[in-house]
Amino acid sequence: DTWDMPTPYGDATFHTQNINQFAADVAAATDGALEITVHSGGSLFPHGEIRNVVRSGQVPIGEFFLSRLVNDDAAFGIDSQPFVATSYEDAQRLWAAQQPVVTELLAEQGLMPLFSVPWPAQGLYTNGEIETVEGLAGLRFRAYNAALEEFATLAGAAPVQVEAPDIPQAFATGQVEAMVTSPSTGANSTAWDFVTHYTPINAWVPKNIVVVNMRAFQRLPDEVQAAVLETAAAAEARGWEMSAAEADAKTAIMAENGMIIVEPSEALTAGLQEIGAQMLTNWEASASESALSILSTYQQ
Amino acid sequence: MSDPVVGLILLGLLFVFLAGGLWIALSLSAVAAFALAFFSNSSVGLNLAVTFWGHSHSWSLTALPLFILMGEILLRSRLSKDMFNGLAPWLGGLPGRLLHVNVLGCAIFAAVSGSSAATAATIGKMSIPELKSRGYPESLILGTLAGSATLGLLIPPSIILIVYGVATEQSIARLFVAGLIPGAMLVGLFSAYVAVRAWMDPTLIPAESIKLNLKEKVWEARGLIPVALLISGVIGAIYTGIASPTDAAALGVLLSILLAVLSGSFTRSDFMDALLSAARTSCMIAFILLGAAFLAVSMGFTGLPRNLASWIGEMGLSPYVLLAVLTIFFIVLGLFLDGISVVVLTTSIIMPMVLAVGIDPIWFGIYLVLVVEMSQITPPVGFNLFVIQGLTGIDILRIAKAALPFFFLLLLAVVLITLFPQIVTYLPDAMSR
Amino acid sequence: MRTFLDRLYLAAGWISAFTILAIAVLISAQIFLNFATRVFGLPLPSTIPSYADFSGFMLAAATFLAMPYTFRTGGHIKVSLVTARLPVRVRLVAEVIALFAATALTAFAVYYIWVLVAESIHFGDVSNGTIPIPLWIPQTAMGIGMTLLCISVIHSLIETLLRGEPVIAASEEA
Ligand code: NA
Ligand code: NA
Repeated sequence: DTWDMPTPYGDATFHTQNINQFAADVAAATDGALEITVHSGGSLFPHGEIRNVVRSGQVPIGEFFLSRLVNDDAAFGIDSQPFVATSYEDAQRLWAAQQPVVTELLAEQGLMPLFSVPWPAQGLYTNGEIETVEGLAGLRFRAYNAALEEFATLAGAAPVQVEAPDIPQAFATGQVEAMVTSPSTGANSTAWDFVTHYTPINAWVPKNIVVVNMRAFQRLPDEVQAAVLETAAAAEARGWEMSAAEADAKTAIMAENGMIIVEPSEALTAGLQEIGAQMLTNWEASASESALSILSTYQQ
Repeated sequence: MSDPVVGLILLGLLFVFLAGGLWIALSLSAVAAFALAFFSNSSVGLNLAVTFWGHSHSWSLTALPLFILMGEILLRSRLSKDMFNGLAPWLGGLPGRLLHVNVLGCAIFAAVSGSSAATAATIGKMSIPELKSRGYPESLILGTLAGSATLGLLIPPSIILIVYGVATEQSIARLFVAGLIPGAMLVGLFSAYVAVRAWMDPTLIPAESIKLNLKEKVWEARGLIPVALLISGVIGAIYTGIASPTDAAALGVLLSILLAVLSGSFTRSDFMDALLSAARTSCMIAFILLGAAFLAVSMGFTGLPRNLASWIGEMGLSPYVLLAVLTIFFIVLGLFLDGISVVVLTTSIIMPMVLAVGIDPIWFGIYLVLVVEMSQITPPVGFNLFVIQGLTGIDILRIAKAALPFFFLLLLAVVLITLFPQIVTYLPDAMSR
Repeated sequence: MRTFLDRLYLAAGWISAFTILAIAVLISAQIFLNFATRVFGLPLPSTIPSYADFSGFMLAAATFLAMPYTFRTGGHIKVSLVTARLPVRVRLVAEVIALFAATALTAFAVYYIWVLVAESIHFGDVSNGTIPIPLWIPQTAMGIGMTLLCISVIHSLIETLLRGEPVIAASEEA
């Protein structure tokens, strides 16, 4: 069999490199009984369609950014909720709590998660140092989802919608003055061209997920299924290590290119945690039961 | 079945559909459906529906109908006629005269719009009727427009450079800066070509009937003010960060309505005509884009472009030979696929070999834009040709013939940036110092 | 019947035209908000939530709703250089075959677009922006537009057969 696999990010992204390795490993483990052709960078389908085309069986497997589905159920988005999990250890525990719920929700759509790999924790990009939360007040802040919009508002900043490709220009022209994203995205979009300071506030650790269409998976012979699951587990473990290495490497690249890396001050951390707590309270008021169950498992 | 055979079958089908008079959007969709049905194990119908949906609501496409509407409004007001009357006395002494309006108009508009189709539609809407009525030769009107509109891709902002920058993780800011000198060089090449043609055959370009003194020239130039205001308003909004390039298109619509009403010759029925006409033109272009996207998806499933690209990679060529082979490869793919699809379908395979032989990825991005610009004016699938056929009713093959010299000028530009890579790299290098 | 259908195509075309105008207004409002907060420091939100999503969905609706009108008025382009050189009878046959093929293709597309809409309803798919928009709403506009296109193609095919000459205005050379 040959499986076409659409993925949203380009070949230079470690997620894609991990998936390319996964595809090679599957071919090796199954003696070529299953070959996966990776269509990276949204070359087969736009990011927004990937979950749907796997669901409908047009392709048997695909990757997407997990919290894209947050509007389906808050359980998908808990890893993008600011200051719930801010380290890899916390993120591991959160994923352990989230995985069974996500698996069940995806099963309702005929999908099965294979593995999930985090992006490095999200840091703050600004011109000039931000010493306290008050330093964010009045800044035009890039917000691309509801949680970030709420975050910006609570911090007294003005949320501005900017699509990813427009980021450099938005900074260059002053349309945006601050953003939160991973050091991967920062380094890959040469953030030093437009901002001076990077503060690793580790706001959240969002994940990509690789899912298969259940029917397609069940059509595979048993030993191929087993090989895929085993390879996927290895890919997940490898991906988490790559992510951690990536965080350090990309932060170093930003420093090499003249960006000033500042550890967040205690005052800033405390202020951000406060906003996080406030947001979590708001979130709990409206979250689905499945999402709340993740949180209670995680907080035990 | 081997790849070359599959490729030839699909090409043959495309030619049959197109020559038989099947609508272009449907011809592309039909070939895509055929390719999926026979050479993939995915569903034809579901892929069609998802592709039509997924590609019809993209944010970056939103600028297209807005720019087209802006062109329709300007055409129906006095503004575009005033602009030509204002320019005519000044360009009177230059060989080629008002044809340079096509070149420069496209270059200026390219600084606002990221696509060549929007550039061709907006400038062409105004310049084609005006230049025709003044007796300029059809082939040069169509050629300069089709050729110069491709500048929309090279002069920032540029959709294709964003796609390339995202796919290969290159700095989009640097790519934009890198496009500036090559863009200016192309403007120079196009204008020089027009001037040389006019100089070689003085009967080609209609003589300027009225001779004006300087005072009169300056007075006539007042007609340029509204359009200058419009363009500086839109460009200003982008470069002060008030509007993204897509936002700016909406601003252009509002400003052009305002100026048209102020100019006093724009009626309600003009406005209604402009609206309906814009809906029709953008529907035509979007439908072809959707057909092209569906064809690109089917090519992704069949793997033809990938396999062809890896086959080139296996040849182990030296940089210059590799570039020569890639240029041919891109020209051939560009005959049948739209530019963005060419880039997304092949970068995965092409980039590693390009980097392996030590080619600078920023330089390669600009090189790619130039070859993609060529694909916009080669039949059967060339978006500038489609837009101009939509504007004039003239068959794309005749337009393609008129645009052929500009194809070769683009090829010349590729040769020039290959021999003198500094044309591309100078500004981005200066930026990092 | 004939005039009713042509009115229907035109009505959809007008909806499309005003949808494009609505996109321009929506985005302009966003620019105004941005400008007002930045230059005058007005205490307004500087963002219309999900305005990019709304614009995109309106664009899809505008594109598809204009399909039948564009088709009937010869707006969808084709290569006519080859068929134009054929004898009149042969040209008519080619036109009829093209219309048959167009009928088949658009009917196929219509069927699968409604399948997509049904799937979006079944799974309750929503957009992923700040404001979740049920996807079946903009997708229904796409379905209606494609269905009308298919009807207009069949309409043109029947007219062509009855009259014995092409009915779609070959977009005349300006
Ligand atoms: Na441009
Ligand atoms: Na072409």
